[in-house]
Amino acid sequence: LLLVVTHAKGTRYSPPGKPALTRCRSPEKETFTCWWEPGSDGGLPTTYALYYRKESSDTVFECPDYRTAGENSCFFNKNDTSIWVNYNITVVATNALGRTFSDPVDIDVVYIVKPNPPEQVAVTVMEDKGWPFIRVSWEPPHKADTRSGWITLIYEIRVKLEEENDWEMHLAGQQKMFNIFSLRSGGKYLVQVRCKPDHGYWSEWSPSSYVKVPDYFHREKSVWIL
Amino acid sequence: LCMVAACSAVPINDLLDRASQRSDMLHSLSTTLTKDLSNHVPPVGWTMMPRPPLCHTSSLQTPNDKEQALQLSESDLMSLARSLLQAWQDPLVDLSNSANSLLHPSQSSISNKIRELQEHSKSLGDGLDILSGKVGPAAQAISSLPYRGSNDIGEDNISKLTNFHFLLSCFRRDSHKIDSFLKVLRCRAAKVQPEMC
Repeated sequence: LLLVVTHAKGTRYSPPGKPALTRCRSPEKETFTCWWEPGSDGGLPTTYALYYRKESSDTVFECPDYRTAGENSCFFNKNDTSIWVNYNITVVATNALGRTFSDPVDIDVVYIVKPNPPEQVAVTVMEDKGWPFIRVSWEPPHKADTRSGWITLIYEIRVKLEEENDWEMHLAGQQKMFNIFSLRSGGKYLVQVRCKPDHGYWSEWSPSSYVKVPDYFHREKSVWIL
Repeated sequence: LCMVAACSAVPINDLLDRASQRSDMLHSLSTTLTKDLSNHVPPVGWTMMPRPPLCHTSSLQTPNDKEQALQLSESDLMSLARSLLQAWQDPLVDLSNSANSLLHPSQSSISNKIRELQEHSKSLGDGLDILSGKVGPAAQAISSLPYRGSNDIGEDNISKLTNFHFLLSCFRRDSHKIDSFLKVLRCRAAKVQPEMC
């Protein structure tokens, strides 16, 4: 490896450091994005380019869209995304003194699916024979096409009392509704939902929904006193 | 999946539900196996590893995005799933035989999982035979994808591990395709109970 180092008024210039492809993710098995971390710029203006080659083809393409997903990223829209095909991806950093390649990464989009969190999470207090329970309902992330069966999601719910640290977890399977019983009278609860595709990764948790359970215990006690 | 006589009574959406549960399991198992194995493939093995286009099933034209997949008819989806499954009958026997002589720290667990793969794919195959009859005559067309293997998949342990890993990664991709096609079919059949999809 030949390292070119130039001295100019005490400043060291060098070819760019090695960039690293850090993550690729598809939210719905139809598009995907890859992100990289730049290495050092060698004290010079440095540009980055992402190149990819699909298995069973020798043609190398450059990233179709550097903008949509923000800095240091490449977005592949529906037309640029195939599944059951490995993409061999490399990032190249270039400055006036040279070019540095990242380690290549092989990905098949079906194995990098991490959906967005469930949406329209609704929590309501209901009552069963005088005892309250909460009903949590939600919709799949709108980008995920669960209707056609292209993606199958399972859901997990967690609840916790506002002042406590531990969450109580519940696996809901493919249902989009879940009832939670045995609640503390007068307790204020936080509820979150997340989803996981078949053969993919859990989404982030949805933003907390808050719900206050009515003071049913006092009411019960007063019945006893009477 | 069920006895031939009893199946006539089972609605097609229930059969597809069971089939896709089986294919889901099949794929998950192949993923676990591929990972177990890849921890012990030596670096030289990776350089010898054939590329995915060399899988014996790669000549079968399958969709490679959602748009293409959803355009296919029920019969086409079923026929693709069955062709892929059928193409793995012989290679799974080879894998099972070679697993017994594989030098690998988790050899016995790998052997057991391969046997499980065989059992699941056998019962899924039986289920799809019944289902394809219900979907229509075109669903019964099977593309032949010949596998030119031998009983033993390698002479020394490194080439054995490498070929084993290669075959499993091919199976992993194909079982994902089978699972995806069956889940699309399941949702088409589930129109009556749309909460499934």
